[in-house]
Amino acid sequence: MKTIKSSLKNKIVLELENVVKTYISGNSQFNALDGVSLKIMEGEFVSITGPSGSGKSTLMHIIGLLDNPTSGRVLLEGKDISQLKENQLAQIRNITLGFVFQQFNLLARTPSLENAMLPLLYSDILKSEREPIALKMLTKVGLADKIKNTPAQLSGGQQQRVAIARALVNNPKIILADEPTGNLDSKSGKEIIELFHYLNKKEGRTIVLVTHDIELAKQANRIIIIKDGKIFKKVL
Amino acid sequence: MIKPSIDDLIKSSFRSILKNKGRTVLTSLGIIIGVASVILLTSIGNGLKGYIEQQFDALGANSIFISPGKIFNDDGGFSQNSMATAMTTSFTQKDFNLLNRKLKNSVIMPVNATYADIKSNYAIKKTTEIDGSVEEYGKSNNVIPSNGNGRWFTNEENDKKSPVVVLGYKIAETLFPKSSAVGKKIIIKGKTFKVIGVVDQKGASMGGPSVDDAVYAPFSVVSDLAGNENINTFIIKAANKDSVESTKKEITKIMLEKYDSDAFTVFDSSQLLSSINSIIGILTVGLSGIAAISLIVGGIGIMNIMLVTVSERTKEIGLRKAIGAYPRAILIQFLIEAIILSSFGGVVGIMIGWLGSLGINNFFPAKVTLSSVIIAFGVSTLVGIIFGVVPARKASKLSPIEALRYE
Repeated sequence: MKTIKSSLKNKIVLELENVVKTYISGNSQFNALDGVSLKIMEGEFVSITGPSGSGKSTLMHIIGLLDNPTSGRVLLEGKDISQLKENQLAQIRNITLGFVFQQFNLLARTPSLENAMLPLLYSDILKSEREPIALKMLTKVGLADKIKNTPAQLSGGQQQRVAIARALVNNPKIILADEPTGNLDSKSGKEIIELFHYLNKKEGRTIVLVTHDIELAKQANRIIIIKDGKIFKKVL
Repeated sequence: MIKPSIDDLIKSSFRSILKNKGRTVLTSLGIIIGVASVILLTSIGNGLKGYIEQQFDALGANSIFISPGKIFNDDGGFSQNSMATAMTTSFTQKDFNLLNRKLKNSVIMPVNATYADIKSNYAIKKTTEIDGSVEEYGKSNNVIPSNGNGRWFTNEENDKKSPVVVLGYKIAETLFPKSSAVGKKIIIKGKTFKVIGVVDQKGASMGGPSVDDAVYAPFSVVSDLAGNENINTFIIKAANKDSVESTKKEITKIMLEKYDSDAFTVFDSSQLLSSINSIIGILTVGLSGIAAISLIVGGIGIMNIMLVTVSERTKEIGLRKAIGAYPRAILIQFLIEAIILSSFGGVVGIMIGWLGSLGINNFFPAKVTLSSVIIAFGVSTLVGIIFGVVPARKASKLSPIEALRYE
C-alpha cells in the first residue's frame, strides 16, 4: 500500500461501507453483495475481477450509481449518495462518472461526433461548446479523422474509442469500464488498455476496470477479487 | 432549466424518426386518413353552404313566402310534420284577394301545381309537375328565357287562360330531342299547349326539383288542369329589402284573421337559408365526427409503434440514463417523437384533404376553411400527446441496468 500512497494523491474518491445488495425472487433471498467495503483513491487504476456470478457486475452497478444498495453506505468524494433521488443520481453520473461498456452502446446510424457529444446534452455545457469538446476528445482517442463515421463504418476498437471519448466529454473524475475489451481482438484490446493507462497516468483520472479476465485485471495498479458477494482478496 | 433543451430533443427525435422513413409513413397513415377525411368532409359541407347561399341570392332577397302548415319549429329548424301539413292544406282565391287588397305596395304571386303526363310528337314524360303562376314570377325566380329561347308568359295570357307553357332546359331536350322546343306543341290531359319559351340551363339543384325539369304555365291554366282553384304558395315581393320584416308582420296579421297560427308559415329566403344551413352544419359535424374516429384508430397505431420503438431502443434508453439522462428527459424525448409522428400525419392529411377538395370542386362545391385546418392540426397533435404518454412513461421508467442488459 505504501508504494501506491506515495505515488498518488492520498484522497479517497469512492468509498463503500459494508454494502449489501439483496435480490428477492419468490421466497428465496440472495445476497449478490454481502458486506463489501472498499476505498478507491483519486488517481488510482483499480480492477475488480472475479468469476461470473461473483457479484462483480452488481458491485459495478452500485459504484456506477446505477443501483442502490440494500444496506450500507456509498460515499462519493465524501458525500453519501446511497439515499439520493433518481434525478440527483443522474446528474452525478453525468458529471462525475464516465462509462465504457463491453457492447460500446453507441447510437446506431449516428456519427461519432454526435455519439461523443451525447452526455453534454444532459449537462449545463453551452451548446456552442459541445462540438469543440467532443472533437477534442475524439482527437485524444485518435479518431479526429472519423468524426463523421457512424458505428457501422468503424472497427470494434474504433467504436470503443468513440465510447471512451464519450465517457471523457464531461471531464469525469472516475472512468468505469465494464469488460471494455470483451468484444475486441487482442490488438485492439491492448490499444484500449494503453489508452486507459494514458488517461490514468497523464491525466490523473481514476479508472475502475471490471473484468473476469485475470490477465487483464493485472494491468491495474491494484486488483480487487470478489467471490460470492464478498471481497476475496485485495492484490497490490 | 430543462436539460436537454426542447430544440435538442426535437432535433434528436427527428433524427430517430427519419431513420425509419417507411415505418413513419405507415404509422402516420391512420392520422393521415383521418385528417384528410375530416378536411374533405368539412370542405364539402362548407362548399355546399356557399353554393346554397348563392342560389338564394339569385332568388332575390326581398321575397316573402307563405306556405301552408308549420314549416319551422321554434328553434329555427324544420318542423317535423311540415311535409304532412303542407300536403293537406292550401290557400284559396279569397286569400289572394284579401292579400291583394291589404298589401298595397307589394307584388303578390300565387303559385299552384298539378301533376300530369306530358306528350310531344317524340316523347312522353309521365307524371310531371306543372307549376302555375303569374307574369311577375318569371323575374322573381330568375326563370325568364334568354334571347332566342322564346319568352315568359304574360298576365294577359293568364287572364285569358291561354294554353302556353315554358319548359325547363332538360325537359325540353327530352320532349324535343332534335330541334328547339320553342313554338312546338305539347299535349297535357288531352289539351294542346304551345311552348313559348325554354328556360336556360341552371344545373343541378340541392334538394327540391331542378328548374331544368320544371314546366311552367299561367296560374289559371294550371287551375283548370288541376280542377280546383287551390293556391299552394304565395310569393310576395316586398317593396324593398328594409320592408321585408314589416311586410312579413303585416302578412301574418292578415293571415291570422282567417287561419290558426299553425296552419301557415310566413318566411323569407334568409330564414329558409339559415334552416338549410343549420341542417348542413349538423350533417357536416356528424360526418366529420365519424371520420374523426379514424383519428383515434390512428392514435392507437402510433401508441403501438411507439411501444415497439421503446422496446427496440431499450439499450439506448439505458445508455442515456447511465450517462445522465433523468427520467423526465427520456419521457419528453419519446413524447416529442409521438407528437412529431402524429402532427406529420396531420400535415400530410391536411394536404391530401386539401388536394382532394380541389379535385372534388370540379364536380361538387367544396371549400377548405382555415378553421378546419387549424382544428385538424390541433387534434392530430393532441392525439400524439394522448397516445404518446403511455410509451413515453414506459421508457422513462426503465431501469438503466435492465435496459443496458437487454438484448
